[in-house]
Order: sequence, then C-alpha cells, then structure tokens
Amino acid sequence: MNTAPTQTHAVSVVGVSKKWGPISAFTDVSFDVPQGEVVALLGPSGAGKSTLLRCVNHLETISAGRIYVHGDLIGYRLGDQALYELSDVEISRQRQKIGMVFQHFNLFKHMTALQNVMSGPVHVLKKQKAEAASLALALLDKVGLKAKASAYPSELSGGQQQRVAIARALAMQPRVLLLDEPTSALDPELAQEVVETIRKLAEEGQTMLIATHDMGIARDVADRVIFMEGGRVAEDARSRDFFTAPKSDRAKQFLSRLLPAH
Amino acid sequence: MAMTQRHLASELPIVHRRRWGAWLLGAVALLAVVTIVHAGIRARIVNLGVFADYIFDPLIVMGAVNALMLGTLALFIATVIGFVAALMRVSGNPILVAISSTYVYLFRGTPMLIQLIFWFNAVPIMFPSITISLPFMAEPLVSTPTTSLVTPFLAALAGLSLAEGAYMSEIIRAGILAVDKGQRAAAAALGMTQRQVLTQVVIPQAGRIIIPAAGNQYIMLLKSSSLASAIGYLELLRVATDIYSSNFQVVELLAVAAFWYLVMTAFATAIQTVLEKVFPQR
Ligand SMILES: Nc1ncnc2c1ncn2[C@@H]1O[C@H](COP(=O)(O)OP(=O)(O)O)[C@@H](O)[C@H]1O
Ligand SMILES: [Mg+2]
Repeated sequence: MNTAPTQTHAVSVVGVSKKWGPISAFTDVSFDVPQGEVVALLGPSGAGKSTLLRCVNHLETISAGRIYVHGDLIGYRLGDQALYELSDVEISRQRQKIGMVFQHFNLFKHMTALQNVMSGPVHVLKKQKAEAASLALALLDKVGLKAKASAYPSELSGGQQQRVAIARALAMQPRVLLLDEPTSALDPELAQEVVETIRKLAEEGQTMLIATHDMGIARDVADRVIFMEGGRVAEDARSRDFFTAPKSDRAKQFLSRLLPAH
Repeated sequence: MAMTQRHLASELPIVHRRRWGAWLLGAVALLAVVTIVHAGIRARIVNLGVFADYIFDPLIVMGAVNALMLGTLALFIATVIGFVAALMRVSGNPILVAISSTYVYLFRGTPMLIQLIFWFNAVPIMFPSITISLPFMAEPLVSTPTTSLVTPFLAALAGLSLAEGAYMSEIIRAGILAVDKGQRAAAAALGMTQRQVLTQVVIPQAGRIIIPAAGNQYIMLLKSSSLASAIGYLELLRVATDIYSSNFQVVELLAVAAFWYLVMTAFATAIQTVLEKVFPQR
C-alpha cells in the first residue's frame, strides 16, 4: 500500500466523492482524524453527512477517492489499474472495528437489550455466550441500563434505546465510532442522557465521528468541527474556533440561524 | 356547593355507553343462524345415525391422516421452495429475478388441479424411465419405469408443493421486505456477513411477520389435499366418495369428511396460535 498515509490516523478520508448517477452527495472530501479525536460533522440537511459516515464503513460504496481506517483501505483492494471492491466476508471483517450508531437506533427488535449488546461478540467474534453476557452487562451498566437488560426495544424509551445501541457498538471494541445524528430523534430531555453518554466516551479517548445538529455535542463534546454544505467541506476548525470565530460565510449563516444572537 | 358535588361525584358508579347497534345486529344474525339450522334439521338432510357410523370408520380416519400428512409435508416443502424463490426475487440479479417471477406467474396462474394431473401424467411421458448408473459398470444400478415411481402420493405432493411454493414465495418476500432496512444496516455495521444478517436478523423477524399468512395457507393446503382424489390418492374426500358411491348416503359422508376437515383446521389454527404466542411480534 504505497499510497497509504504515512502517519497512521484513525480515519483518513482522501479526495472522496459519492454519486448516484447524476445525483451527487458530496465531492472531493478530504480530512484526517487522529486517534482519540472527536469530530462533529455539521451542516444543513442534505449536505451529505449521513452518506459520508456510511461510506466510512462501506455501507455505501464510494465513487472516487480512498478511505482508510487505521491504515486499512476500506472496502477496496488496491490493484495496478483500479480499486477492486472486497468480498462480503472481507468487508464485514473491516466493519468489526468500526462501530456505528444510527439516528433511529435500529436495535434488533426481536432481541432484548442484553441480546442486542451480545449479538456482535457472539455472532461476529464467536465468543462464548457467558463471556459475551458478562461483557454486555458491564456495558449496559456503563450506559446506566443494567436494570433494563431483559427489556425489548419496544419497551424502552428512545433515549434508552439509543444508549443500548451505543453499548451494542462498544461491545465490538471499535477503534472508531460513527454516530449519525444520535440525538435527532429524541426529545431534548432524553437527548441529554445520550449526550452525557457520548461525553463519557469522549473523555475515555474514544475516537468518534458524529454527524449532528446538537450544539451540545458539537460545541461541548467535540474537539473539532467539519462543516459541510452542498456536498463540500466548507470549514474545518477546532470546535472552539468554529463557534466563536467561524471563517466561512456559510458557517456564519448556519450558526446565526442556529444560535440566534443574544 | 362545588365541594359537595365533587364529593358526591367520586362515589357515583360509572356507566359506560352501550353499543346498542352491535347488539341489535347480533340478535338479527343469531335469528338468521337459528332459522337456517332449524330448517336443516327439520328437513333431515343428515341422518345422524349414518353420520355416527362412519365418523370413526377406519378408512375415513386413514383418509384424514393421509390428507393431514400430504398437506403438512406440502407446506414444509412449499416453504423451502418459497424461501428460495423469494431470495431470488429480492436478489437484484436479473436472471434470478426473471426465473423466480416466471415460476410464480405460472404456478399461481394455473389451477392446482391441472398441475396435479399434469405431474401425474406428463412426467412419466417426458422421462419414460429413470436410470441411475455408476461409471465403470455395464449394468445400471437402478432402472425403473417412471410410472412406478410417480405414485399418486408423490405426484400430489409435488403438485401441491410447487403450486403452494409460488404463494409462499410472495408471502415470504413480503415478510422480508417488511423488515426495516435499518435492521440490516445495523447488523452489517456490526460486522455480520450477508448470510449472518439473513439468519440472525432478517429470517427471525420476517418469520414472525408471516406466521398469520402461513397459517392461512396451511389451512388452505389441508383442504386442497382433496384435489389429490382426482389422481387416485386415498385421501379423505376420495375415501368418502368411494363409500357413498356404493351406499348412496352422499350428504352423510360429505358431512363426515367436512367434520374431519374442520378438525384439521382446528389443529392448524392451534399451531398458529401457539406460534404467535411463543414468537410475539415486537
Ligand atoms: N440512496 C440515495 N439515492 C440517491 N440520492 C441519495 C440517496 N441517499 C441520499 N441521497 C441524496 O444525497 C444527498 C445527501 O444526503 P445525506 O447524506 O442524507 O445528507 P445529510 O445526512 O447531511 O442530511 C441528499 O441530497 C440526498 O437526497
Ligand atoms: Mg443525515
């Protein structure tokens, strides 16, 4: 892999574009995420944030560029003439170390909270059930839901479901966690529990890429903001700088709409 | 004043609105049912003595067991066929999609009776004899005329399974499509292979969704087993027909057959109810 980035970042996005026929989600996006950094992906809806996250674990194919996670080229093998898409088994192996949390939680409906958290270790990593269960219980405890271990998703509030979903992703000990609007489907009060859980992970040094509209996450939890608009990166800045002194006009507009002047 | 009213109100019984319309309709319906049953009894359409004589007749019971066996086996085979056809249909591969939809079109679009008679008659003509031979052996291992292999039971089983497989494939396809895309995305994101996504997430959830429709199909199949009488399989209706063509107690024997079909239907319904309890949709 002669073109792999010299310094190994947790995530490297190199000139990536995504199109569906004539429709473009984003064009020529590049950034590096060092290990342990928390990045908030901001931008109006339709900016391409979700699609970008889904490209990082190859739930979406890419149209151009390369994505590396800890030095591994994601989804493709570098040939002489082209990038060749990997097999289903190879792609699923790459995804094992990339956790994902969805806007609508997507907990497995037919499994209890505990079974959801165990599902990765048991089915993917082939761990013993007893070992997986004790790990899962510890993770449920960490997100404050040990008492709900035997509840089904339909019996949990949205905030509880999202915390179980985070525990499920953590059970795979991901090197990178991708979160797509983790609080957008939640009432402010429930969103707060999820923000606190994410903050705790940030303090533990978990590398995260979070698409969000939640300023609590972007300003207080994230180290850095990547602001996307119209399928391009319009600004890439330290979180503090982005909120106090945005450079691009688009970011200024976005912020003024979001945070009315006081 | 307000105080006393509130105090009194808390002690008053609560009377809910009565659904008079539904009660009235119920009474009319009950009257209609009673009238019809009464007319039937007065006309003595069924001689209860003859009915009682034949209800546990060994031939009749054997016919009922054969029908249950045929219908149940056909359901299992149809489920397997339907599952494969449904996967082909959702695979996105144009060849597989075309094969699967043609199969569904042909087998759903022609009467089951025609299919049964076709398998019974056409297969022996298409393949007059079935020969299994091993290399380096002059004599074939097995060589039989196909007519002796295609028994009425096998022809009926093949016919019912293939026809029913077409219906099951549509039911299963609908079940698979009803599983939220996000469930599959979450499973894939955990690192499950496509096969694991299918076995761990899609099948368990689609399985619950299709239980009511599959139960319905089971009942239909149990009754469709009577079509096998056309090719000489000794199932319930065939046995009853044979008996009444010699003793002319047509209505009684049809009533006996109907009774056993109802027993089978009750059995199928019970299985469905248990499955829905054990695997509730969540
Ligand atoms: N499967 C798809 N096919 C075609 N266009 C899509 C598809 N998914 C998303 N898009 C389009 O791509 C753009 C980016 O969408 P998305 O990544 O969801 O944005 P965001 O998450 O920032 O709101 C939007 O214009 C959207 O309509
Ligand atoms: Mg989005």
